[in-house]
Amino acid sequence: MERRFAGIDIGSRTIELVVVDGKGRVVKSLKADTGFDPMAEARRLMDGVGYDGIMATGYGRNLFEIAFEAPTVTEIKAHARGARAFFAQATSVLDIGGQDSKAIALFANGKVKKFEMNDRCAAGTGKFLEIMARTLGFDIEAFGDEALRAEKETAISSMCTVFAESEVTSLIAKGQDRREIALGVHASVMRRVAAMLQRAAPEGDVVFTGGVANNGCLRSLLAQKLGRKVRHSPQAQFAGALGAALIAMEGKGR
Amino acid sequence: MNISPLMDDGYAGEPAKRVLNYMQGRKQKGDPIVGIYCGYAPIELIQAMGLVPAVLCAFSKVPIPAAETVLPANLCPLIKSSYGFIIEGTCPFYAMSQAVIAETTCDGKKKMFELIADIKPTHVMDLPQVPDDREARRNWKRMILKLQGFLERTFDREADEKRIEAALKSSNRKNALMRKLFDYAALIPPVLHWKEMYDVGFLALPATGEEMAPILEVLLEKLEQRVREGTHFGKPGAPRVLVSGCPVGGDATKIFKVIEEAGGVVVAPDACTGMKAFAGVFEEDSGDPIAAIADRYLDIPCACMTPNNRRLTDLTAMIDRFKPDAVVDFVLQACHGYSVESYKIGRHVQETHGLPFLKVETDYADGDTGQLRTRIEALFESI
Repeated sequence: MERRFAGIDIGSRTIELVVVDGKGRVVKSLKADTGFDPMAEARRLMDGVGYDGIMATGYGRNLFEIAFEAPTVTEIKAHARGARAFFAQATSVLDIGGQDSKAIALFANGKVKKFEMNDRCAAGTGKFLEIMARTLGFDIEAFGDEALRAEKETAISSMCTVFAESEVTSLIAKGQDRREIALGVHASVMRRVAAMLQRAAPEGDVVFTGGVANNGCLRSLLAQKLGRKVRHSPQAQFAGALGAALIAMEGKGR
Repeated sequence: MNISPLMDDGYAGEPAKRVLNYMQGRKQKGDPIVGIYCGYAPIELIQAMGLVPAVLCAFSKVPIPAAETVLPANLCPLIKSSYGFIIEGTCPFYAMSQAVIAETTCDGKKKMFELIADIKPTHVMDLPQVPDDREARRNWKRMILKLQGFLERTFDREADEKRIEAALKSSNRKNALMRKLFDYAALIPPVLHWKEMYDVGFLALPATGEEMAPILEVLLEKLEQRVREGTHFGKPGAPRVLVSGCPVGGDATKIFKVIEEAGGVVVAPDACTGMKAFAGVFEEDSGDPIAAIADRYLDIPCACMTPNNRRLTDLTAMIDRFKPDAVVDFVLQACHGYSVESYKIGRHVQETHGLPFLKVETDYADGDTGQLRTRIEALFESI
């Protein structure tokens, strides 16, 4: 029977599990909310899934390492590897997850050259978009599309999530169009991650990974601002888990 | 790790307690204590008067909430901690000190000193910040002479040129021995641990060359023995890390601990709490010992200086000597000097030396150790 390798990405919002075969082809992708007991969720997700080796990544990786005696890899290396699986030539990676965002520059051979992370504050993360979508009464899945329908942007000046939320609330009270506000919210996230990308990974096409990569508004604003191509895979949210699975397969993990 | 402590005096791993014990001993002998905050305080002048310099508490998160009742939250934790210790009355070194020497290193400190100036005699030295200007040397020498006047008045003691010259010669001897000690961290693998460097360094800073020389001779012998026995720190091939940037002590040493948890070894703690305090040489028998002191101190490559090119030259020398696999630039929250300078440091480390570089910005709280761990692990993955 052919060998199989799993990667599990225990993020702050969701857990993804990806299984690849000996050639690195994805045979299974699963996802669950992290909830308040990540190890129980991980166990549930892994139930009945067969593999010969597993590697963990994400903020819960150290818990997983102890609970399952599995090797780990950082989110940075995992996303870098996942991005290369989507686009073999990738040298600039942007990952926006639930509670952090990171820009990664890669050498031509795929090794991590430089990275920068924002993880001490919700600004510029999926959490920020989620809170703003809720404040504006949009479904998070449709938030980007709604914003794209706006003709112009209502600028949001606060970078802090808490202040931005009250700013948005007062704009709603002033009768501003909520799609225009939504566009402003997207532009605010975009400016933050664009600055991070320009510092850490200023060249080449950007491969966008993580759940927020599915947001078309953010992608187009970013491409416009950077003057660079922003590419993403429909499987972007699985980039970390896929990367971990591939690293397990290649035997490069610790 | 079952390596017997280098300083096996019952204070291993507790440098502050050891120093407190030393201070109490000196005080009992009738030597007055002078509080200092920073590497620019000219220790040799203080020692030449038979006074004892005590580095004041600044590295615990405990007094920060008290400090924040007065100081803004978005301020450097070192300043907040220093101030909190004083208003809460929890720094034993401050309690022992009869006067405090401060410097205009940064805006936050300057303004904080104003708030403590009425508690104890506090002398603020106006530190020139364009060190390569000719005027800077002259002005700094004047400020050292002014400090001498302050100490003479406050303690009713005098220091003549002969005693100052003797004090700087004593420091030269001490610093040379300290640098010899650090050489054992430069070995591959290192036979000296960062905690041991702290154990020794925290005592060596206020103590005189005469006091330190016999102690250091014994330690150097012990280190030689470790080399012979093959005792060392870190797993084979553990990434060697140079940590530059802001001072690292107490709760800030979380950065060293995270590096170790991620499998690395700290071989070169730069910064004023590490090796920087023992760098440089005082010119001996120059005929103007105060000028010799001024020159040595103005050469300290602190980010409050502009331009601070010496930091790059010193970093290059440190990289050549300690052969790190990666460089971490440790920046305390709201320390604008080190934070802005980090860009230059990163470029220098990556482009001139081809080494992986990581800037971390943090405070004394434990909340971000997980995030720090991810960054450090990713840094090690890129080696």
